Amino acid sequence: MKREHGHRETSSVKAGSSSMTANKEEAGGFDELLVVLGYKVRSSDMADVAHKLEQLEMVLDDGNSHLSDDTVHYNPSDLSGWVDSLLFDLNPTCDQVIPDQDSEYELSAIPGSAAYPRGKRTRTGSNSSTTRSMVVLDSQETGVRLVHALLACAEAVQQNNLKLADVLVKHLGLLASSQAGAMRKVATYFAEGLARRIYRIYPRDDVGLSSFSDTLQVHFYECCPYLKFAHFTANQAILEAFATAEKVHVIDLGLNQGLQWPALIQALALRPGGPPDFRLTGIGSSLTGQSIQEVGWKLGQLANAVGVNFEFKSIVLNSLSDLKQEMLEIRTGSESIAVNSVFELHRLLAHPGSIDNILLTIKSIKPDIITVVEQEANHNGAVFLDRFTESLHYYSSLFDSLEGPPSQDRVMSELYLGRQILNLVACEGEDRVERHETLAQWRNRFTMGGFKSVSIGSYAYKQASMLLALYAGADGYKVEENEGCLLLGWQTRPLIATSAWRFNRVE
Amino acid sequence: MAGGNEVNLNECKRIVPLNTWVLISNFKLAYTLLRRPDGSFNRHLAEFLDRKVPSNSFPLDGVFSFDHLDTSTNLLTRIYLPAPLDPSRYGAVDLTEPLSATEIVPVLVFFHGGSFTHSSADSAIYDTFCRRLVTICGVVVVSVDYRRSPEHRYPCAYDDGWNALRWVKSRIWLRSGEDSSVYVYLAGDSSGGNIAHNVAVRATREGVKVLGNILLHPMFGGVERTQSEKRLDGKYFVTIQDRDWYWRAYLPEGEDRDHPACNPFGPRGQSLEGVDFPKSLVVVAGLDLVQDWQLAYVDGLRKNGRDVNLLYLKQATIGFYFLPNNDHFHCLMDELKKFVHSIEEDSQSKSCPILLTP
Repeated sequence: MKREHGHRETSSVKAGSSSMTANKEEAGGFDELLVVLGYKVRSSDMADVAHKLEQLEMVLDDGNSHLSDDTVHYNPSDLSGWVDSLLFDLNPTCDQVIPDQDSEYELSAIPGSAAYPRGKRTRTGSNSSTTRSMVVLDSQETGVRLVHALLACAEAVQQNNLKLADVLVKHLGLLASSQAGAMRKVATYFAEGLARRIYRIYPRDDVGLSSFSDTLQVHFYECCPYLKFAHFTANQAILEAFATAEKVHVIDLGLNQGLQWPALIQALALRPGGPPDFRLTGIGSSLTGQSIQEVGWKLGQLANAVGVNFEFKSIVLNSLSDLKQEMLEIRTGSESIAVNSVFELHRLLAHPGSIDNILLTIKSIKPDIITVVEQEANHNGAVFLDRFTESLHYYSSLFDSLEGPPSQDRVMSELYLGRQILNLVACEGEDRVERHETLAQWRNRFTMGGFKSVSIGSYAYKQASMLLALYAGADGYKVEENEGCLLLGWQTRPLIATSAWRFNRVE
Repeated sequence: MAGGNEVNLNECKRIVPLNTWVLISNFKLAYTLLRRPDGSFNRHLAEFLDRKVPSNSFPLDGVFSFDHLDTSTNLLTRIYLPAPLDPSRYGAVDLTEPLSATEIVPVLVFFHGGSFTHSSADSAIYDTFCRRLVTICGVVVVSVDYRRSPEHRYPCAYDDGWNALRWVKSRIWLRSGEDSSVYVYLAGDSSGGNIAHNVAVRATREGVKVLGNILLHPMFGGVERTQSEKRLDGKYFVTIQDRDWYWRAYLPEGEDRDHPACNPFGPRGQSLEGVDFPKSLVVVAGLDLVQDWQLAYVDGLRKNGRDVNLLYLKQATIGFYFLPNNDHFHCLMDELKKFVHSIEEDSQSKSCPILLTP
């Protein structure tokens, strides 16, 4: 702790001085007498800090006088913040009014994975434990305080304590705005999600903004390697499955802007022995109907340019579960089929039975390969708080990986992800479509459905790693292989997973 | 119980300035978190939470300080001196010359409080207090660290205190006066006061001259529950329960609070009669639940024929001297100053003037 220089104090003693007065000399708003003793408390905050101390006293009197093992301690000189954090830790359901605080303490963003420990305890009330480990941070990281505040608010929502949630969410806005970088953005989205949930101002239905959402995805594609990785790895699996086929048919369950296919077309063109006839069926929602045709047309142009016979068909659906075998006009026996889904399947989990419908349909067309890319996270748990916690961690990592010099692509990517967050946090029932599940969960579902895993192979893994190094400068991205599937992550956290399947035909 | 607490807290808040209340409540709160029911102590967290300051060889507000670290014990001693009159000597520490060849410069050997468990010489609260002692009372202060409980029990703190006294007595650069000797007063607050008493006892036994003892709401106790303990339990930052915890942590295992370290004039206490025990200034805070034991201590000294001044500050709570924003602080400083500069008029009077403040 630095000694405060220039501290003025009268060393002369006045005998019989008048009755007690609190010394209100202020240095930068802080009570000067306390500053010298190592505590920074604004004179204007003194009463509030006193109040909080009283509250803590009452909490401790209830016999809850030990800290949980993963209590994080903040800078003790910031008495107000330290007391705040203890209040949240020891009694997160206490009904407190939190005044506006503008913080002068230096703040910096925290990488998502470090923001708080994984597997954080689920609170059922006070818990005491006999182990002695403890996490201590001697820093002024209000970023971690912010995370705690977010979780406290989510917990209030979980417990339907909307009065408390209301207080906390207002406080959140302020806390978040005093942050910087990735943490600020993530916190702002999550706080907005909470606010929407509390006040029941649900985000507009995504379908109405579908074309906008396509645009956002393009920016996301441009700005970071996740989609490129997804496309690349899926294409590798498809290419291998199509190795000797003369006619190939790719069914894309979510065509969007068709960003995945130029590379495949080019790869097919370069196939030894010449390209196969390439047929693409692109599926989209009703409001993008027109632009699907355009996408198909553009891909056709490209195919022509590289000498690949190209056929295109579009299917417009409200939901993938409406997809029927007949719509696909399969030419049985004469074409190899690939079904491709990038971030589409999880949406079907919002409606009971939908996922089974699509899997049935897929089985019925007997594809040679099914490629699936999904977010590597469980954001579909039954308990809101668990979903909230998981996704906070997930998107913190994701946003963290996006950090860099500002650009249009980056801003739009953040919006793209932000909309996912809002849906995840604020919506329920059929409106909540961002129901991400982990690779393990998808594996289970596919295996139970009679599908068999197809290994994506070490060539794809090596290529992916190389490409990543080229594009992203190998900064924090990591490619991982997991029982034939490939994952791309940031730092230690896997974020998306590609898997490939085929259906066990019953002979 | 919540209702009762609210009353207590409100009353307490009226008595002390708000920032004092915040400061002491914060300590109380932190200490509650550190003490474990099984008697162990969260030392790492304690060290983390303790606000510490470095020494400064360049004078600030007329005081400079430097540290001496005993490498065999890892105990810190911090020495506070008035700034040299000549600014060209700022930043330099002369360890070869006495403080003065003509004047007597009292050296206060100060044992910080913390109920034998908390704080250090470099804790901000004690560093600041010692610096104020230098400027206000015109003394040199040697602030001493001692091994703390529960890791180190009785008699470690006393042994360390005794060693510190001998060290101070043997420093050339702490000598003063025409006879060039070290004029030592022992002082301490809370557990430090208890240590000061015990070090003085040993000094007396071994013929080391101590000019006076200053005990600032010293930490004493006993098995019996006194009136003041019952009356003030939980009302002004301190509870009987926490006092018990600290005694259990300091006294040898299996001992009770009538052990002489805790209860020096109790059933197992020792007599000081006929022994050249130094004169004492005992400061009692009128809102300290331990006061009956402190008053019993004063009585005990008196009965043994020892010279003792009692400064009873009726409306003071523990820790009143950490902030100079109240009358008690200034009153204390006045009395202290008189006490340490009264060697010239060394009175053998056995009377015990009692000073009270409204």
